[in-house]
Amino acid sequence: MAARRRLPLLFHLKRVHTEAAVTEPAYPPIVHSLTAKSKGAKGRRFEEWVNQTSASPVEEKIASVTRMQRKKFVVYPQTFARNADRWYQHFTKTAYVPGLPGRFSPGQEEQGSPPAAAEAAVRATLPGIDRDAFEDIRAVVTRAILHEHWHEKKPRTFVYREQERLVGPFLRSLVTGLTFSLARYNPLLLQASVDLNPQLNFYWWRGQRIIPKGHRRGRVESPKFQIDDQPHSQIRITQQLPEFTSMEASYAAEVPEITVAPNMMPLFKRQYENRVFTGAKVPDPARYGHTQFHLVPDRYRRDRMARLQQSDQVDVFLRANALSSLFAWTGAQAMYQGFWNHEDVTRPFVSQAVITDGHFFTFFCYQLNTLALSVETDANNPRKNLLWGNESLRLYDRVEDGAVVGLNDDVIALLVQFLANRP
Amino acid sequence: MPVTRLLYPLYQFGGPQLRIFRPNWFFTLVRPGKEQPPDTVQFRIPMEMTKYDVKNYLEKIYNVPVGVVRTRIQHGSNKKRNHLNQRVKKPDYKVAYIQLAQGQTFTFPDIFPEKDGTAAEGSIEDIRKKYSEDEKQKQKLDPRRGGVTDWFGL
Repeated sequence: MAARRRLPLLFHLKRVHTEAAVTEPAYPPIVHSLTAKSKGAKGRRFEEWVNQTSASPVEEKIASVTRMQRKKFVVYPQTFARNADRWYQHFTKTAYVPGLPGRFSPGQEEQGSPPAAAEAAVRATLPGIDRDAFEDIRAVVTRAILHEHWHEKKPRTFVYREQERLVGPFLRSLVTGLTFSLARYNPLLLQASVDLNPQLNFYWWRGQRIIPKGHRRGRVESPKFQIDDQPHSQIRITQQLPEFTSMEASYAAEVPEITVAPNMMPLFKRQYENRVFTGAKVPDPARYGHTQFHLVPDRYRRDRMARLQQSDQVDVFLRANALSSLFAWTGAQAMYQGFWNHEDVTRPFVSQAVITDGHFFTFFCYQLNTLALSVETDANNPRKNLLWGNESLRLYDRVEDGAVVGLNDDVIALLVQFLANRP
Repeated sequence: MPVTRLLYPLYQFGGPQLRIFRPNWFFTLVRPGKEQPPDTVQFRIPMEMTKYDVKNYLEKIYNVPVGVVRTRIQHGSNKKRNHLNQRVKKPDYKVAYIQLAQGQTFTFPDIFPEKDGTAAEGSIEDIRKKYSEDEKQKQKLDPRRGGVTDWFGL
């Protein structure tokens, strides 16, 4: 009886002193274990890997992201698949905007008075270029065309090798000639690197699926994609090109959603080295991209597609090519700067591309606003990547008696504007 | 008569174009097992047909704008055994996946739609249903016996 009455007194005394005590946690935070066989432990191991990768330098970061090999979808930029551009837009979270950004004057509308309008456009971008300089540039282009198609005698080649024999050298001389003649007006091009036939690789994860069969059946997996591209030539510069629009402007853009598995495209899986490469290694000073030039192979030429009654797929092919190549290039540039899936880009990465089959030139601009494409990082990500592209324009009609007939000044003006683009 | 090997009309340079006027080939349109994109149609075709044959068949006879055709051969299983322990072969067949051109789409129709229980008054299903209910009612025992069987008793 007496013992029972003593206890309440002790309780009151204890409570008086606890209010003045400092409220510091006596134990370390309760987190999932690292080694247990549980979902929480797996999540914690993944978080640790993400933190460790984010904290490491660029080359180790890329190595860590590309270390694990599994079967992945191989995305070919130049593909025979129908409606490939919609599929690629879904894989890369890109919205297509018809027409070029406002910086480049539209060449199609000014067909009435090409020379004056083209020159005005060129003068708007670059005050240094006047009529004589434009004539010099026209001369460079004409010389390239005549050399390949008139002066040099080319025998008949194998089937499906005409483009690389006839148009490849023309494009190479055009690119190098224009770059080095415009270096006077664009000082960036003096320190630029013109790569011929470079390698371009990019590796990323996108979406989620449940593995239907195999020893990993029932588990959740993120499909992996790899682009291995070899553009005809590209120009890399030391400074970043300015953005075409702000990142917020891309929030309203629409990206096509495709619920069907990528296999149905058709797209095939393979397992090999996961590679991220811009065309040069990480320490190279020219680490930002400027312009890429692509050549349309014989298989996708306009006359062949017209013969197979697939003329509408020509545009689709060009768009898919530009989209995948430019996404791979800008993504690789961003990864070289240390951004990756879990550390999204803080500034947009911009590049340009010109795709041609010798006669028709198509111009594309790409802005990479987000690299966060996997499910957990894309959940609240309103940013979308943007691709601008214009209609194909003819450069010249034909070559007759040592002279180029029907040389289109709009195309030359656009080429000059593209190469003269600088921050 | 000696057995001569039948060579199909193999094309040689300068020869006439092969034309088949009444082909003895028949297609079967099937529901795809895996979900396909909206412009893809799945057929079962005879083994002898090629992609070009499929394209010409659909375009010339049925006026269907065909974009691209992909085919594969499905191996029919030879694993099942009958009551004599002999292996029973299920026949092989060729499947064609056709992607339509000109932006057309196709969805496989629902051949067996779900029927809700109520049938229209006076229709055959209604009469049939009532008849079967009456027959079932006749088979039931006298409810006044309270579930007891009629093996015994009066």
